[in-house]
Amino acid sequence: MGEFAPERVRDRSRYRPELPLPRTSRIIAGFLLAGLIGLTAYFLPVLQSSATPVVSSGGAILDPVAGPTTPFTVLLLGSDDDSKFAADQYNTQSMILVRVDPSSKQVTMLSIPRDLWVPISGQQGVGKIDTAYQTGGVDAAIATVQQNFQVHIDDYVWIGLKGLIKLIDTMGGVNLVVTNPVMDDFYPADINTSSPYGYYRVALLPGPVHLDGVHALQYVRSRHGDLRGDFARSERQQELLLAMKAQAKHLNIANLPDLASAMNGEVKTSISLQRMRQLFAVLDQYNASGIHRVLLDTPYTSEGFAGGQAVVFPNWGLILPLVHQTFPQ
Amino acid sequence: MKAVTYSLLILAMVAFGFGVYRVAGVLKTDSGRVVRPSSTTAPALPGTMYVAQQGALYRFKDGAFTQITDDAGWTQVAASSDGSRLVAVMRRENYSDVYLLASNGRIIQQLTHLQAQQAEANHWSFLPRFSADRSQVFYSYDAKDPWATYRVDLAIFALADDGSGAAVQWTVPNDYTGGDVDALPLQGGGLIYTKYSIDDKSQVHSQVWYSARPGQPGRALTQPDDNCLQPALSPDGKTLAMICRRDQLQSTDLVIAQLAGTNLTLGPESVLVHGQLSASPVFSPDGHTIAFLAPVQPGEAFQLWTVPAAATSSPSAAHPITQNLGLDSSAPPAWIK
Repeated sequence: MGEFAPERVRDRSRYRPELPLPRTSRIIAGFLLAGLIGLTAYFLPVLQSSATPVVSSGGAILDPVAGPTTPFTVLLLGSDDDSKFAADQYNTQSMILVRVDPSSKQVTMLSIPRDLWVPISGQQGVGKIDTAYQTGGVDAAIATVQQNFQVHIDDYVWIGLKGLIKLIDTMGGVNLVVTNPVMDDFYPADINTSSPYGYYRVALLPGPVHLDGVHALQYVRSRHGDLRGDFARSERQQELLLAMKAQAKHLNIANLPDLASAMNGEVKTSISLQRMRQLFAVLDQYNASGIHRVLLDTPYTSEGFAGGQAVVFPNWGLILPLVHQTFPQ
Repeated sequence: MKAVTYSLLILAMVAFGFGVYRVAGVLKTDSGRVVRPSSTTAPALPGTMYVAQQGALYRFKDGAFTQITDDAGWTQVAASSDGSRLVAVMRRENYSDVYLLASNGRIIQQLTHLQAQQAEANHWSFLPRFSADRSQVFYSYDAKDPWATYRVDLAIFALADDGSGAAVQWTVPNDYTGGDVDALPLQGGGLIYTKYSIDDKSQVHSQVWYSARPGQPGRALTQPDDNCLQPALSPDGKTLAMICRRDQLQSTDLVIAQLAGTNLTLGPESVLVHGQLSASPVFSPDGHTIAFLAPVQPGEAFQLWTVPAAATSSPSAAHPITQNLGLDSSAPPAWIK
């Protein structure tokens, strides 16, 4: 048996067929594989963001709803995340509760005044609601809103200054109507600077405009030159959200890698990419008549002083019936 | 031979994979992409037009755009009726100034000097327009309130076209509204402009306003809830075009109305363009056409459009002149013979 072995080896060597020319199916498979590698490379940022959840350490208290067919509520948080603050120790300058009802195609946006004087979850006593995130992270922010407004929050999205700029630039800017001149002589110059306490002047002229990220941020952040102060800013933030929703309608799947790159590290959310896609599909069906905007200005709130600072006092007797009506459980 | 064939096939596959990568990138929506006007052409319009894009001014004549200033923050150009002079704004980080220019863009004179050391000590000047006889330049300017440093409201001032003498304040803005803009000096000496107000329900309103003399309170020509702005007057002074937002956030109406009598009453409106984000209308020199700025596709940057200036125009009569310019929508085109 053993004596034949070398012979077989020799035979195999002798008779080894020459490699045939690739058949058509192999060539096609090769091209398909190459195309798949090209697509994978293009969508790599999306795959990476899926593999690395953007969910922050917070959000543990959330109990997301099953799917996009039942009404759900998202808490949108916007922070000044410049170098004045320690990492993830930010105030939330913007807090907007958004309720989406897929069956009736109604969206309600309720802006919470950042200076609202309320009991803060996990703390003794009361404080401005915008400090909840700073002291207890997203869990404290969510719990504070839930406890005070008696609403259930399903998901949250947090975004910082640079994140908003990058997101809007990646979307190609936004179109909106500036309702009146937005003038501010003390607009914070705290992005990409070593001196975050500086300021510069802002002037956005009224009328229809196409805004890039920096100017869109100016639009929603400026508050000094408007009679309505922070309430004007809240209103403009809602307008920007609607403009971003309109702009997102024109994006397609090929824009996802750029969006994922822009949001990487700049946005925190409890919403998975899969659910985000579902939400966009749902929001795509909404029109302006189904969107309701709520601001808690007078008589729902009143301005005053507490704890040595200017604050906004809630009139819960009016706010809670409004919330129960616009955010039914 | 086989090795060459294999190599070529592998190369082709790599190229195909790279091509798929590139094509995927091409398929994405890129609504922010614009080109310089001087690198493109457009259907010719009668006369000469000036527009602004990304800090430079361009002349549009015979279907071609010519850049007439460098990229130095130029915007909001207006022309004298004979076309020999331009006024325009040069905007910097904390201030802006009005300049008198020749029709080729050469600076003749800096009319305002609003730069200051401290950021908050700077001033803005916006949206200049010549008076009908070209002797004055009207513009919006933020006079400071020494008792309220946060208050920055634009008021309309008039300055001699050689910059001499003190500027005359024409309008008194409502406090903390952002103020008065869109100065439109009338042949007879009055002024039409846009005034902003905030009502007791915290709602912002813009109204086209008329003042006969400097300092006179004047009166509204449009209703608060129509939220009209950016008025433009036909060459014969009988028709007013303007943008009315009403309660829309993502679109506006371009409307015209007859301006009648010595008391300047505004007749019924006719909507020329509805459902688009129209901005900054201007009449052609013969008054038969209105040019305005609007995106061609929702979400895109602003392009130049025209529509017949007739109350019977159908909405479909509006059509874009440019496709990919991204013009400054806060800078109305200047259109002369």
